[in-house]
Amino acid sequence: MSTLLSLTGVSKTFADKVAVAPTDLTIEEGSFVSIVGPSGCGKSTLFNLVAGLLAPDAGSIALNGESIIGSTGHVGYMLQKDLLVPWRTVRDNIMMVAHLTRRVRIEDRDQAEVLANRYGLGEFLDHYPQALSGGMRQRVAFMRTLVTPHPLLLLDEPFGALDAQTRLDMQRWLLEVWKESGRTVLFITHDVDESIFLSDRVIVMSPRPGRIVADFTNPLPRPRNFDSLTTMEFVALKAQIMKLLYGESHE
Amino acid sequence: MNKVLRNLGIPILSIVLLLLTWQAIVVGFHVDSFIAPRPLAAIASITGNWSTLWPLLLGTIRETVYGFFCGAILGISLGVVMAKVRFIQKLIYPLLVLSQAVPIIALATPLVLIFGLTIRPIIIVVAWIVFFPVTVSIVDGLSHVDPDLLNLAKVYGAGKFRTFWQIEVPASVSPLFSGLKIGATYAVTGAIIGELASSTGSNLAEFQQHANANFNTAAVYGSTILMTIVGISWFLLVVACEIWATPWLRRSTARRRRLRLRQAVAKR
Repeated sequence: MSTLLSLTGVSKTFADKVAVAPTDLTIEEGSFVSIVGPSGCGKSTLFNLVAGLLAPDAGSIALNGESIIGSTGHVGYMLQKDLLVPWRTVRDNIMMVAHLTRRVRIEDRDQAEVLANRYGLGEFLDHYPQALSGGMRQRVAFMRTLVTPHPLLLLDEPFGALDAQTRLDMQRWLLEVWKESGRTVLFITHDVDESIFLSDRVIVMSPRPGRIVADFTNPLPRPRNFDSLTTMEFVALKAQIMKLLYGESHE
Repeated sequence: MNKVLRNLGIPILSIVLLLLTWQAIVVGFHVDSFIAPRPLAAIASITGNWSTLWPLLLGTIRETVYGFFCGAILGISLGVVMAKVRFIQKLIYPLLVLSQAVPIIALATPLVLIFGLTIRPIIIVVAWIVFFPVTVSIVDGLSHVDPDLLNLAKVYGAGKFRTFWQIEVPASVSPLFSGLKIGATYAVTGAIIGELASSTGSNLAEFQQHANANFNTAAVYGSTILMTIVGISWFLLVVACEIWATPWLRRSTARRRRLRLRQAVAKR
């Protein structure tokens, strides 16, 4: 596997607050990497640095060996808020990046329809987003991310606003789509279970200053299902991560 | 059917109630007909003078509509520029407030002096009233677009122009219509003020003044009813445009016709 994304000595300070201390991170092509950490640990700053919304104070960020510092249009991007526009149908929301960047082609429509049909939203193509449930809206938002040609997808707590049941469904669905798409995913969450269930690697961040404190390779075999959530490997990794996040004396 | 009944029946009922109250007061308190006519007498004065009133009414409608469009276009342009250029917003805002603090009646006479006894000063008065709520609403709409949505567009490398048309404009449609609706109700008031000042001898406002001087109170009320109908109709037309322009607020799926049209365009 080759390196898709590499951060070297990347740091960012806002006013006096060090949001991200000098940080190194490499992401292999095709892998699923999660970043967990409490709020204020700099994970969203890191995310915005890679997305190009922020420029680092120091260090380099390279995608496929080319610097992408402070420039946009290189990655897929999805937040906890679905950010679907209410005035466009599901089909047009999936095609939104095309609407935003160039002339829309008939292939864009076809691609949106194929994707929606494959993942069970075919009958809602002409619906407006307000007619959809929270889980369905997040699926549409993810399809909007998926139709972009970018190999790296940045997902910032995409399921954070969903109820526990829908969330589990969405996690399983995401694994399925990820496997079929062959994309690389950088996934931010503060849910430890979610990070272990989904990822090849779990990166733990800590605040003041925001930095990476651990980088675990997940031993949990794939394909994963609900049984994976109660295996020895899962629990052992979870214990290690919890210790880092909440300390030893958390009783 | 039930919904249509509720949406149309209740407003009609409230107007009927208003007319009944009017009738009850005039009859109950034995008001002389030259002080206040009965509703039917007022309506009869409209139908009786229809051949005189119709061309005057057309004139008022023309002033209202032309003035409204001038005001709306001016208001939208000004609002977009103000929302996009901070400096211009700071520069223009005081003048904007000033423009509305000037009593419009005091402004109408000098406008007639400048533009003469034509429709132009009247249109300017209407536009003067209409542009303000439109500008305020569009500045508001454009500056309250979800910043996360704008960031999303930025991450995908969307240009300013496309972001404006694809996100900022549609996001401002609902606020814009709030401004247009306020403007629509005030437009006819502007037209009547303009007519009073221009005194060409043949317009609805002067017809009313003339009737008033002759103690023809029924005709005074009749012409007031006509003015009000112009205002209400124009408001309803704007509401109809709003319903047409924002289908996502009322429907769960897009209109078939619109979809087919766009499919045809995309295939071509």
